[in-house]
Amino acid sequence: MKPLVMTALILTALTGLLVVLSRDPARQVFALAANGLMLGILFFVLQAPDVAYSQIAVGTAVTPLLYLATLAALRINKEHK
Amino acid sequence: MSPAARRVIFLFALVIMAPAARLVAHSMPTFGAATSRYASTVNELAPRLRHVSNMVAAVNFDIRGFDTLAEETMLLCAVVGAVILLRGSRGERDSDKAGVLPGRADIARSDATTLVCRVGGTALLLFGAYVALHGTVTPGGGFQGGVIASSALLLLYLGEGYRCWRNLIHSAVLAAFEGVGALVFVLAAAWPLAQGHPALDNLLPLGKFKDLYSGGAIFLTNCAVGLAVTGSFGQLILEFLEETRSPEDESEPNEADT
Repeated sequence: MKPLVMTALILTALTGLLVVLSRDPARQVFALAANGLMLGILFFVLQAPDVAYSQIAVGTAVTPLLYLATLAALRINKEHK
Repeated sequence: MSPAARRVIFLFALVIMAPAARLVAHSMPTFGAATSRYASTVNELAPRLRHVSNMVAAVNFDIRGFDTLAEETMLLCAVVGAVILLRGSRGERDSDKAGVLPGRADIARSDATTLVCRVGGTALLLFGAYVALHGTVTPGGGFQGGVIASSALLLLYLGEGYRCWRNLIHSAVLAAFEGVGALVFVLAAAWPLAQGHPALDNLLPLGKFKDLYSGGAIFLTNCAVGLAVTGSFGQLILEFLEETRSPEDESEPNEADT
């Protein structure tokens, strides 16, 4: 296994661990985005650029945004009650 | 359930599953050495039969195009469901106006942020269109291009602020993208059927290998998916962001409207 692939795999696992270990949802979203980005880079390193495109766009931009919007909506809902 | 009980169940499952997992892991191809017969067959046939150089597009939109049609419909249904769910509690009336949250400060963007987002957002939007259009030639395709284009919309939001963003992005336009994209795909499947061919049969001229307009119907369905995905994700983002604005009191379901 090439060192580059190895590094990408380890970093993906580490960022995944961060997602599990962070307890505050707002921080967890950013850990999730980092994990998504790392996963995208891993796909790129493994020569699957098309999967990397969708992973980076969905995993680091869209999904975290939807989580952030949900967290904000929950907070607003609580303040108004 | 107590943590101790969970641990017991976990260990129990581990004992049962471990041999099976070991078996599966050992019968998998070694890391990085996977070239399946299906892949080499597609690599061999698709350039000759379909004139495309991106085999993933050939598989997605032609060889297994029917699966993609189902996935496309699934995405449409999921987004429509989410929109109905979110708008259900907010009402349809103001869906084309930016929602506001009383008391929330309107944070002005710095010039640098606006500039970076305008340049970056436009470039990313262009890149998304490029990736979607060149789906038959280079890695990427409709889905990838669509999600890239819709994440470019996020950069525009970041740079311009919510109200201006909502003036730029119209829900109806996104819905039209979504619907037209899905419709084109369905027509691409139904048209050959009406002519007495199998669904999604590639009846269009195939064009030149490695040319932008190569692949015949693949190019068409690929662009349709790009359009539908841009619309779907844009719509989803818009509805979720709107959800962080509308105050409770005005958003009760309004019976008088229905």
